[in-house]
Amino acid sequence: MIEIIIDGKKIEVEKGTTILEAAKKLDIIIPAVCNREVVKAYGACRLCIVDVNDGNEIKMVTSCNYLINKEIEVFTQSDRVRKTRKMLLEMMLSRWPNVPMIKQFAADYGVTKPRMVHPLVDYSENACILCGLCVNACSEMVWEDIIGFAGRGENRRVVMPFEKHYEACIGCSTCANICPTGAIYMTDIPNKPADEKRIDKFGMKITEEMTLLDDQQCRMREVGTAHLTEIMNDYDLLPTTNYRFGSHKEAGKLHSDFFKSKFTQGLPDGCWLGCTMSCAKSIDNYELKSGPYKGQKVLVDGPEYETVAGCGANLGIFNPEFVIEANFYCDTYGIDTISYATGLAFVMECFENGILDKEKTGDLELIFGNEEAAMEILHQMGRGDGFGIIVGQGIRRMKKIFAEKYDLTDEQIQFMQDIGMEAKGLEYSEYVTKESLAMQGGYGLALKGAQHDEAWLIFMDMVNNQIPTFADKAEALHYFPMFRTWFGLMGLCKLPWNDVEPADNAETDEPAKVPGHVEGYVNFFSAMTGKEIDKFELIRQSERVYNFQRVFNFRLGYGNRKSDRIPYRSAGPVTIEEYESRAERYDKQLIEKWNYDIEGKTSKEKRDYLRKMREADYQKLCDAVYKRRGWDDNGIPTIEKMKELGMDLPEVVKVLKRA
Amino acid sequence: MNKIQSGDLNNIREKRVHEIKKFKAALMVCAGTGCVSAGSFKLKDLLEKELKERNLDNEYMVVPTGCNGFCAQGPIMVIQPDGIFYQKVKPEDIPEIINKLIQGKYVEKLLYKDIETGNYIPKMENIKFFGKQQLIALRNKGIINPENIEDAIARGAYNSLVKALKMKQQDIIDEVKGSGIRGRGGGGFPTGVKWEIAFKTSQEKNVIPYIICNADEGDPGAFMDRSIVEADPHTVIEGMLIGAKAIGASKGFVYIRKEYPLALERLEIAISQAKEMGLLGKNILGSDFNFDIKIHRGAGAFVCGEETALISSIQGKAGEPHQKPPVPAISGLRGKPTIINNVETWANIPVILDKGAGWFADIGSGDVSDSPWNGSSGTKVFSLVGNIEHTGLVEVPMGITLREIIYDIGGGIPDSRKFKAVQTGGPSGGCLPASHLDLSVDFDSLTKAGSMMGSGGMIVMDDKTCMVDVAKYFISFLKDESCGKCTPCREGLIALYQILDRITKGEGKDGDIELMEELSQTMSLASLCALGQTAANPVLSTIKYFRDEYEAHIKDKKCPAGVCKELISYSVNENCTGCTVCAKKCPVNAISGKVKEKHIIDPELCIKCGICYEVCKFDAIEIK
Ligand SMILES: Cc1cc2nc3c(=O)[nH]c(=O)nc-3n(C[C@H](O)[C@H](O)[C@H](O)COP(=O)(O)O)c2cc1C
Ligand code: SF4
Ligand code: SF4
Ligand code: SF4
Ligand code: SF4
Ligand code: SF4
Ligand code: FES
Ligand code: FES
Repeated sequence: MIEIIIDGKKIEVEKGTTILEAAKKLDIIIPAVCNREVVKAYGACRLCIVDVNDGNEIKMVTSCNYLINKEIEVFTQSDRVRKTRKMLLEMMLSRWPNVPMIKQFAADYGVTKPRMVHPLVDYSENACILCGLCVNACSEMVWEDIIGFAGRGENRRVVMPFEKHYEACIGCSTCANICPTGAIYMTDIPNKPADEKRIDKFGMKITEEMTLLDDQQCRMREVGTAHLTEIMNDYDLLPTTNYRFGSHKEAGKLHSDFFKSKFTQGLPDGCWLGCTMSCAKSIDNYELKSGPYKGQKVLVDGPEYETVAGCGANLGIFNPEFVIEANFYCDTYGIDTISYATGLAFVMECFENGILDKEKTGDLELIFGNEEAAMEILHQMGRGDGFGIIVGQGIRRMKKIFAEKYDLTDEQIQFMQDIGMEAKGLEYSEYVTKESLAMQGGYGLALKGAQHDEAWLIFMDMVNNQIPTFADKAEALHYFPMFRTWFGLMGLCKLPWNDVEPADNAETDEPAKVPGHVEGYVNFFSAMTGKEIDKFELIRQSERVYNFQRVFNFRLGYGNRKSDRIPYRSAGPVTIEEYESRAERYDKQLIEKWNYDIEGKTSKEKRDYLRKMREADYQKLCDAVYKRRGWDDNGIPTIEKMKELGMDLPEVVKVLKRA
Repeated sequence: MNKIQSGDLNNIREKRVHEIKKFKAALMVCAGTGCVSAGSFKLKDLLEKELKERNLDNEYMVVPTGCNGFCAQGPIMVIQPDGIFYQKVKPEDIPEIINKLIQGKYVEKLLYKDIETGNYIPKMENIKFFGKQQLIALRNKGIINPENIEDAIARGAYNSLVKALKMKQQDIIDEVKGSGIRGRGGGGFPTGVKWEIAFKTSQEKNVIPYIICNADEGDPGAFMDRSIVEADPHTVIEGMLIGAKAIGASKGFVYIRKEYPLALERLEIAISQAKEMGLLGKNILGSDFNFDIKIHRGAGAFVCGEETALISSIQGKAGEPHQKPPVPAISGLRGKPTIINNVETWANIPVILDKGAGWFADIGSGDVSDSPWNGSSGTKVFSLVGNIEHTGLVEVPMGITLREIIYDIGGGIPDSRKFKAVQTGGPSGGCLPASHLDLSVDFDSLTKAGSMMGSGGMIVMDDKTCMVDVAKYFISFLKDESCGKCTPCREGLIALYQILDRITKGEGKDGDIELMEELSQTMSLASLCALGQTAANPVLSTIKYFRDEYEAHIKDKKCPAGVCKELISYSVNENCTGCTVCAKKCPVNAISGKVKEKHIIDPELCIKCGICYEVCKFDAIEIK
């Protein structure tokens, strides 16, 4: 900390603080036309000049970009400063006599009639005052660089390239929102919101948070979701060799630094034009090593975290190049990387356990870490030949086919049930859920199958222990799935909700919900549609759809307790090896949570007891969640619940009557 | 060519010196931009052809050189080793030049004629223009073929590099610091201090710094840097190599303006020859030192020469200045410590290492032994133009007086007119009056007097120059060249221009001078970069030294120098002999009169073109 004096008042500031920021803390107002916290100090208007005595000399500096790094004394109102500001305002006023902001500052400094006659005088109230905010906002906030300055000296002006309308402008309106004079404005907003200003307000808030906070938080713009690999590995949550373990000594090879070095475009790459988060990334000029396009240089769209964790760690392949290649071919063949990876991980574990062998796989040694075989399977899936035809059908069918086709023992069939990482027929995405009961529910109770997009509760549950009781967990498994379903209803992406958070989020009542953003969404809906809602109505909107979907599933034979079952691999250690690898953790839990006397017990005995307890817990969790959601014991929405939601449509009631 | 080791330089030198000695004489044909446009390439070809035809090509060699600095008299040819100096050489002179050469004589009509005595002066060294100069940066001008690296090596090029390779980094920096050399590009910042900052910062942050050579040279009329690159590109490369070794850089850039095709070509040739020999690239001279130079062509705006704008421009962004600090030596190209020096600064470095800091510090003014800020050591190259006998490029020791440059070297004011002012420092320099002729030419004296060293422009003005008009000219230039980013520079220049324009049109008002002073003060205090901070100099210095001229314009609506059209009138006086020449030439037939009778001018018709004044042989046209 450095102590400085501004206009006689002392203040301690951190090294690197600007004088403008320090003055603000003292409520000293310095006119600063071209400065905003969200963009880098541009230093163009020069109105923010102050005198600084640094011990050697008194010099005039611009307070918006002068970084304090030693004890100084600042004078914001010295005669010289006032006189210079006055002259600057006289210059500005002579050119833009009617811009309210300029007029106001000028009046503050006693300038009403400039002495100069300006050859380019612009009488508009909305004249461009060349502050550069729009140009810098487009570049630094939106990462687009659509507008820039053209011309030197008196010809300087804000333009799009070649002074024509530039198609690449995404129409995000950030420039218009930041412009202090209204020189830039939107001529047409095609989707006609009910209240444009209100949308702008909350839109700008997200854009500003992205600009200011993402670099310190999740670095979504810089590296995208790939940054999760190292975090998951650190917390023992990165699935390796079919979810047996949550970390691996070689996981460093899949670090996002490597992918970052490969990401080429350096452009905002969002799913839709105007996404401020733009977390998608791509790799140009990747030379393929296999398959039909071998030797060609291609653009690879990705990889994302799920692809890295799935095609990398979960297959025991710690080669980032393999991940990139698999990413490309999955995209090209139209195969989902998660299903490919999780499905193949199942196959590899079956192979290593004798359920499969080379004869059955068409001579492919499908063991963990075998890159060549793993890639060949992918090509077979794409072509529709060989063993690939079977793998391509997914885990649920593979379990059936293997059981029917090969002569397997009951034990082997049970083993497949335990390690086949699917629920409702959908392959698990790439998180180890063993130590988070709530997250097991997140996967198992999700309507569409084992996906984390309804609820991601591992940190709340396992790391921060914020939802200790069944009731807490059930509340979370009610709120978050409903809240996140709402994104689907609105056609919005979930990531900007909590992959960047307001700076003060931690101080709110419920940080996990990101209340600041919930408020934003409520406002967004109201402003867009003209229909006022609150955060409770937001959840109700989802509940109607969510319950309807559950009934729909039920009609097709899925939406009940049986279909909410999960493979034991997702709830605890299936094998002795797994138990022993984290023995300390499990032993402790047996003693502390279940008062189980482990003295003289074998690993197998301990494993079996743990399994019994955990499976029972999962069922208890289902009980609690069903109750909270207003469902019956079998996990089916009650007719009363549907009534309450106004969803007791005759067709729905008819289906429920069957229950 | 094989990559050479340190020791090989001597062999190359001796071999080349021996080769040259085999010839009886060398005909050095100036191939700088000025002489080339006057036809010197053709001369060179014809000379070679003629020598060959006469079977003399084994006895005399023809060498194309860089600019000799006497461009207005080009094409220039110097015959060495005697130093016979020919000017305005034409193709038809060639046979005679060779005839005389064989006889050991010279062609008199091609010699320089002394302005005072009218005598022909055969030898270059006896011509005052050259005699008073002291050459460091330009030491090889006119002496080597800039496209032949062996010529440069024969004159000692890359010897200092060998020395630097054996020195500790800090020792090189200390040597440069000790020499007291200050940047020749305008700012006058001590070069060694800058290097030290970059060196220390890159050590602290553990990053590799960059080197940049600023060859943007955007001042109108200036051609110091172009001439250095054209005449001796290797000294710039060697300077950069030494700088790179000193601070630990491995990559350098030369930012050169597109309008310098010849300099660009020579530099490219020099770089590729140096690379081939292993003087650039990996393991230079067999050491573990690596350094490469990339050329970046500048798009031409004056402001791109400003260092932060230049760095932006190399990075592919708008060539627009940025706030300092941080200075480039701390955070420059790609955020890395970067030393950016002017061409002339780099050209001095090898000599400083060769002859030592003390030798260099002794040249020039002030005592820099404690701190480079205490004086101006070494020499400075100026481009001397305007109303002066010898326009051209001169290199003089710092501390020389303006009078010595203008009168002794420049030959004074032509047409026996009176000296009025000299403008130094490029467009944002100031105008100094006759009372300052004995001012010492060094960084601090010039700044104190309200002008500046700048990059070395020097424009001499005679008494027919209107100082308000001059101020307007420079302000107009700066107004168009200001990048327009910051308020004081952009708006201040527009305002100054408007006021000056009014004044020169007779619409000046009371308070204009004070308003201009106020505007100027705000510009110099509040502008973002040095362009705006110094842009008011032309106005402030002319107000300071020629205030009465402003007042004459404003109060009396008169232009004392007779330049501002709106303020003058043409009339015929008693000297008129009635020769009728003026009446015939007047484009608007404003002059009437009978033969041998006094003529008169109709002020209603006269458009003040000045033709009558030019053509009258009897001083009968008066401008008031
Ligand atoms: C408007 C403006 C134009 C400039 N143009 C040049 C130029 O053409 N060449 C140059 O060497 N320095 C130029 N400079 C100075 C550079 O910013 C910088 O100070 C210089 O290159 C540093 O080298 P030196 O220390 O060797 O002089 C210019 C500065 C300003 C403000
Ligand atoms: S609307 Fe968005 S993309 Fe277009 S110029 Fe403005 S800030 Fe840039
Ligand atoms: S358009 Fe608006 S934001 Fe952009 S430079 Fe002009 S005044 Fe500033
Ligand atoms: S002082 Fe002039 S040239 Fe420099 S940044 Fe400001 S407007 Fe541009
Ligand atoms: S040229 Fe001179 S002398 Fe001849 S008529 Fe004109 S004013 Fe008279
Ligand atoms: S100044 Fe030009 S227009 Fe006027 S009288 Fe002389 S020649 Fe004619
Ligand atoms: S706010 Fe500092 S220069 Fe504009
Ligand atoms: S170009 Fe020949 S003297 Fe300048």
